Amino acid sequence: MPEAVGFYTDTTVCIGCKACQVACHEWNDLPAQKGPGRRELPLLSGNSYDNTVSLSDVNWRHVKFIEQFSTDLNRSEAAWLMMSDVCKHCVNAPCLEVCPTGAILRTEFDTVYINEPACNGCRDCIAACPFGVIHMSTDPNKLVAQKCTFCYDRLQHNRPPACAQACPTQSIRFGPIRELKVAAKARVEQLKKQGVAKAQLYGADESVLGGLNAFYLLVDKPETYGLPSNPKVPSRSVPISSFWGLVTAAVTALGMLFAFRDRTRPSPRPGGTP
Amino acid sequence: MNLFVADAHWGWWIILYFFLGGIAAGAYFTATLIDLFGNARYQELARVGYWIAFPLIVVCGMLLTVDLERPERFWHMLFKSEIVHQARAEGWPTAGGAWKTMAHAFLFKYWSPMSLGAWALMLFGACSVLSCLGSIWPEGRLSRWFRHSVFARFLQLIGCSVGLFIASYTGALLTATNQPLWSDSNWIASLFMASAASTGVAAIAVIAHSRHVDVEPGLRRADLWAVFLELLLFSVFLVSLGPLLKPLLFTLHGKIFVIGTAVLGILLPLFLLSPLGKVASGRAVTAALLSLLGGLVLRYGILTTPPEMLEHANTLRSRFAQEIESAKPFPDWPQLPAGFKFSPEDGRPRGGGPGADPGNRSADFVPRSKVYHEP
Repeated sequence: MPEAVGFYTDTTVCIGCKACQVACHEWNDLPAQKGPGRRELPLLSGNSYDNTVSLSDVNWRHVKFIEQFSTDLNRSEAAWLMMSDVCKHCVNAPCLEVCPTGAILRTEFDTVYINEPACNGCRDCIAACPFGVIHMSTDPNKLVAQKCTFCYDRLQHNRPPACAQACPTQSIRFGPIRELKVAAKARVEQLKKQGVAKAQLYGADESVLGGLNAFYLLVDKPETYGLPSNPKVPSRSVPISSFWGLVTAAVTALGMLFAFRDRTRPSPRPGGTP
Repeated sequence: MNLFVADAHWGWWIILYFFLGGIAAGAYFTATLIDLFGNARYQELARVGYWIAFPLIVVCGMLLTVDLERPERFWHMLFKSEIVHQARAEGWPTAGGAWKTMAHAFLFKYWSPMSLGAWALMLFGACSVLSCLGSIWPEGRLSRWFRHSVFARFLQLIGCSVGLFIASYTGALLTATNQPLWSDSNWIASLFMASAASTGVAAIAVIAHSRHVDVEPGLRRADLWAVFLELLLFSVFLVSLGPLLKPLLFTLHGKIFVIGTAVLGILLPLFLLSPLGKVASGRAVTAALLSLLGGLVLRYGILTTPPEMLEHANTLRSRFAQEIESAKPFPDWPQLPAGFKFSPEDGRPRGGGPGADPGNRSADFVPRSKVYHEP
């Protein structure tokens, strides 16, 4: 079995060049995002330099641009956060957990992969994913769930994923999780020494869905980057929901039973057997 | 409340499935309870219940299939498609060895409500078709076999349990996601259960009334009980949302959901069924029709609110930051035992095996690649 691998994305060195997006499109043969209606190209979003807007069926990488300006007239304080978003390849993956067709697989590299021929498009994985990663393909020849494959085909041939190879600043680093975690912790220490008090890792430890195989170094709280601080494993709510559902079922049935146990005018049952 | 998720686009097909599936399940378990424990004079009502359940569950199957992006792959919910394809390539069903492969094709993930629900629908379909056959005529061979024999009692017991399950699992399905509203309360399954009972009884009442079947006082009492439970559980559901009730009521669909369900599905029927409602003529049928409408509004509201919340995510986040932050599950009981994991995925360590992956891959499985595997 190969070792678990992942991405460590250091958002502090991301320059927003979108080389990762281009490399992902190139390698995976992803078409350009279409615009609304019959438009061939999307409209400009008006949101910073971000016209990709979100991850989608044809955008498996998305560079976010988060502009932070102070509200005074001179905008005296300004920060521009950039982050290359991608499927997190969760260690306890909600999409894989709920998928009723077994189309979502865990690979030998500990990544999460959608086997397209098995997917029937029920969209339960979209509802389950806490990061809004999965989308349905609008290509009439596909019509199945789509997301980053972690370049499974490249991994099988000992090559890094296309995005990590293309990243010019090593913001996206690929390697064995064990090694990435060491590098990430050292970087957090370095940043803290430099006075970046909010520097933190997101998904490196087990606190978020057992760990994320694509984890991040952030310099603000996760919500600022559009990352939920406490996503849940979907099955956790099933036992409690079922318990109360069972109690309700029993109470409903009991009430019904008494409602129809009317002894005032008994009459013989047709058919003979009581 | 997680507002960073994507919209699953569960629209009208699913709304109608939840609504009609609830009616089918509610009508069926009401009918079985009458057959198993009720007074003999309500037998005609039970027949009506069985008539409702089977056709509706067939429609539900169609709705679910049509909703899939790839409807021709509906059977992938029940069997591992890759293993089935492999068995076919090995010569199944004529080749003996291929049966060994086929034996591994069964797909059942007990921790996934959708997987569990697919099998439950199959079982419910089987029970409801037999019960429907047994209730075409009030007497005769079919009636004896499928309604009044020992086998029929067994069938009714199984069907009643599966019916109760079908009534509520759709709620657990919504809770087992990360969508706003759905994943914020553990009471949707219970609410759907009560709504299924009230809409099921209401559907029986409407048809029984049109056929002039004697329904008093059993059906009115059952209806009153179901609507009362719905009132109780709808209140508990709203309380369970705690501070998140504010963002819910901020959305248009949230308002439709809360007000529509409360007024149409609960308060008006309750008024009409109570002694105060005697002033209205035809009150039982009006109450039943309102219950049905309320059940539809409940499903419509609960399915259309999260997409609207996601559309206005930035507004909700800035307006209700404190409410979203302070939301806690209610009640935080029953607590699961420490270390208890319902699914093999939960708590799986890094590199710790397949987890919830059921192994749906053939022996010669290769990932798609434009470079290495294209001809």
